[in-house]
Amino acid sequence: MSFHPEPANRYVPVSAATTFLVGSTTLFFCFTCPWLSEYISFVIPIYVAVIFLFTLANFCMATFMDPGVFPRAEEDEDKEDDFRAPLYKTVEIKGIQVRMKWCSTCRFYRPPRCSHCSVCDNCVEDFDHHCPWVNNCIGRRNYRYFFLFLISLTTHIINVFGFGLVYVLHHRHQLDTPHAAVTMAVMCVAGLFFVPVAGLTGFHMVLVSRGRTTNEQVTGKFRGGVNPFTNGCTRNISHVLCSSQAPRYMGRQRSPLTMDVQPPFLRPALTEAQLEAKVLDNGIQNDRHSTRSKSSLDQTESQSADAEPPPPPPPPKPELRYPGLPRADTEESSLLTEAPPTPSMFKYRPAFNSPGRNHTALTHPNKMIRGESLDSPSPTILQSSRQSSYRSEPSSLDGTTVVGGGMGARRGGGERGEGPGGPGGTAGMISGGMSGYSLTGRSYTSYPSSLVLSAGGSRSSSLRSAQTAHNPLTTLQSEGTTDTSYKSLANQTPRNGSLSYDSLLTPSESPEFESAVHELSPQKPRAPFPSATVTGQHDRVSPSSPLQGYTSPFLSAQIAQQREGQLLQGSATFSSPHRAYLRADSSRAPRHLSSLSSSPRSFEPPISPPPRGLSLGKSPSYIVEVGPQHKPRPAGGGIVLGGGGAGGGPQAPQSTSRPVLANHTTSKPGGGVKKVTGVGGTTYEISV
Amino acid sequence: MAREFHNLQELRHNASLVTKVFVQRDYTEGTVCRFQAKFPSELDHRIERTLLEETVKTLNSYYVEAEKIGGQSYLEGCLACATAYIVFLCMETRYEKVLKKISGYIHEQNEKIYAPRGLLLTDPVERGMRVLEISVFEDRGSSSSSPSSSMSSAGSSAR
Repeated sequence: MSFHPEPANRYVPVSAATTFLVGSTTLFFCFTCPWLSEYISFVIPIYVAVIFLFTLANFCMATFMDPGVFPRAEEDEDKEDDFRAPLYKTVEIKGIQVRMKWCSTCRFYRPPRCSHCSVCDNCVEDFDHHCPWVNNCIGRRNYRYFFLFLISLTTHIINVFGFGLVYVLHHRHQLDTPHAAVTMAVMCVAGLFFVPVAGLTGFHMVLVSRGRTTNEQVTGKFRGGVNPFTNGCTRNISHVLCSSQAPRYMGRQRSPLTMDVQPPFLRPALTEAQLEAKVLDNGIQNDRHSTRSKSSLDQTESQSADAEPPPPPPPPKPELRYPGLPRADTEESSLLTEAPPTPSMFKYRPAFNSPGRNHTALTHPNKMIRGESLDSPSPTILQSSRQSSYRSEPSSLDGTTVVGGGMGARRGGGERGEGPGGPGGTAGMISGGMSGYSLTGRSYTSYPSSLVLSAGGSRSSSLRSAQTAHNPLTTLQSEGTTDTSYKSLANQTPRNGSLSYDSLLTPSESPEFESAVHELSPQKPRAPFPSATVTGQHDRVSPSSPLQGYTSPFLSAQIAQQREGQLLQGSATFSSPHRAYLRADSSRAPRHLSSLSSSPRSFEPPISPPPRGLSLGKSPSYIVEVGPQHKPRPAGGGIVLGGGGAGGGPQAPQSTSRPVLANHTTSKPGGGVKKVTGVGGTTYEISV
Repeated sequence: MAREFHNLQELRHNASLVTKVFVQRDYTEGTVCRFQAKFPSELDHRIERTLLEETVKTLNSYYVEAEKIGGQSYLEGCLACATAYIVFLCMETRYEKVLKKISGYIHEQNEKIYAPRGLLLTDPVERGMRVLEISVFEDRGSSSSSPSSSMSSAGSSAR
């Protein structure tokens, strides 16, 4: 899905390699071998030829074979993983926690050892590296051929050089003949290539014996740690060399067998308990989709960020449980439930949550968002929000229009995130979100419960759609918040039109970010507002490291887009979908929430959505006052970010606070307007 | 004329797709192909636990067999090297053979067990072996949520 024509220089290394290999060998055979076969042995050319053919065969296999590309996930599959889904899921492999990252291009959580190749724009199983010399990724299916190619090429170079040397030594008094000259030239080429090729061969021999991929080695994933994928040296080697050829996933023929499914359907008899459960169910089952917000479109596709060892768990925190929450998302996809909750690996709120918190926050925000979507949009909010900017995101959140808009956005936008339903949906969504939040006193004391119940599964999916950060990001542009996550996001242009929240949250991918995240996550769930001055915040923002890149999926995407190039550090601009418009000028650190200006301003880079759960619980009193573009707002007091928590997904108020404060001085001269990131990642401008 | 349609399209005539349930991979043993035996709660009222767990167990055993590194796979590798991999054009690898068996097994399970219950398994290989997809169908016209008396409602909703 590249939008650019393939650059011709992709083929330069592979052409050069082929030319050198074939050309030099041909010259060797023509000029050196006749004498060798005559005067030394006829076996030599045969031997060299066999090795050369083996080299060539492996070279062709490494070049042309599918490395193990995963087909893109179908739309149905990722409906559970909407923008609110976390950026990472953790699985335990042989007792070691490994993170699986959400790939926004391919729309699934990358299996362990899988990575997305930016050159080929595919996720590749057991990704090793992208080799320019063969112009192909090296992955599960063709690693063996690549490895054998290296070994055989090294052998071949040694052969050519060695036999050429024999020739030259025997003809040292006739070096002016063309044969000798050619032989010497071939020897030079061979000698020149020997060093890097042998070095690479040795490197891969070590990797094979250790059971690591190049990607894991260079990104230091298991440095000093334990590699869960190794089975011992012998087994590792035999796995590479002796295992059966792995199957292709792409281009398979669909099974021609069709199945006729006709009602009436058999049903298992319900047990008493099941019947009872049904009665009490409240339709909660449908909500299981909501908890994850994956929105971020992965811009970074960074190979180093895939199945990294999870950051060290933060100190245990009391888990925030919302009373109304019907239940933990037990239906959460098994990936999520099977492992201890990953701290802060949400797309929107990278480091912010503690494991426990994350989980709840995760669930809560999702639910919140759903609930929000049901709210009727409030006109003020609509107006204040920059509709255009947050087009894609809000739409999904909008309860009324969300399904259509969101879906449209998602489907149509794909990663781009623009949805036809964007504008209208956005507004609606935002307002919906707002109303949800503003009604702290609304029926739900704890966000998730009622919201969750009200939301249908479809809504969440619609919400998700908006996330393709593409739109929002571009529109968000001038927001002042610069977030490390945004920064990285900004640095990457959406690839293939997919702007993922992942990219927005780039900081989260980086190791340092993760550590930051952990710092943040230990906090109790609290209002994420970076500055304690945010009204309605019950908790102070803990001065943890700035939460980078936590934002609600929507917001972050939007902001990131807008912010591209303007990312500033440390501003915890919360981006939640519905919040997008609420986002005040992130560059300011408002003393209190003065306004949320939707106008794009330089954001403070990190958009750290306050932890969803937290914000929900804590921030009911936020009232978001959205003023069109205004930066400094008179301390109107009580700008409450409605639904700050809800929309934003995991937000790290703490993190945002830091950046916000940090940016305070550098932010636009607002004459004492502080930008605060509220729960849910909304940024408020609070006039000091 | 290739059979373009997806299995599910056949079903549209009779039942409508309600949702899809995904059984995820079980990575606790590494990257070997295994699916989780955990029973998805969405299917609580659609199929007996034991049936699905049995299916998943059998699939897992097939995958173990496919990925086994033993005599046959080793010989295959040697033969391939010796013939400069041309043998791949003629011969089916061990993995592919097992995949065919799996495909047949899934079809048989669908026929016998899942289709009568309004479910359909999709071969994981079509999804890159990342998930086992179970499509859930509902009778058209019947209420979508699980009926309290499943049999009667399913029966009565009819066509």
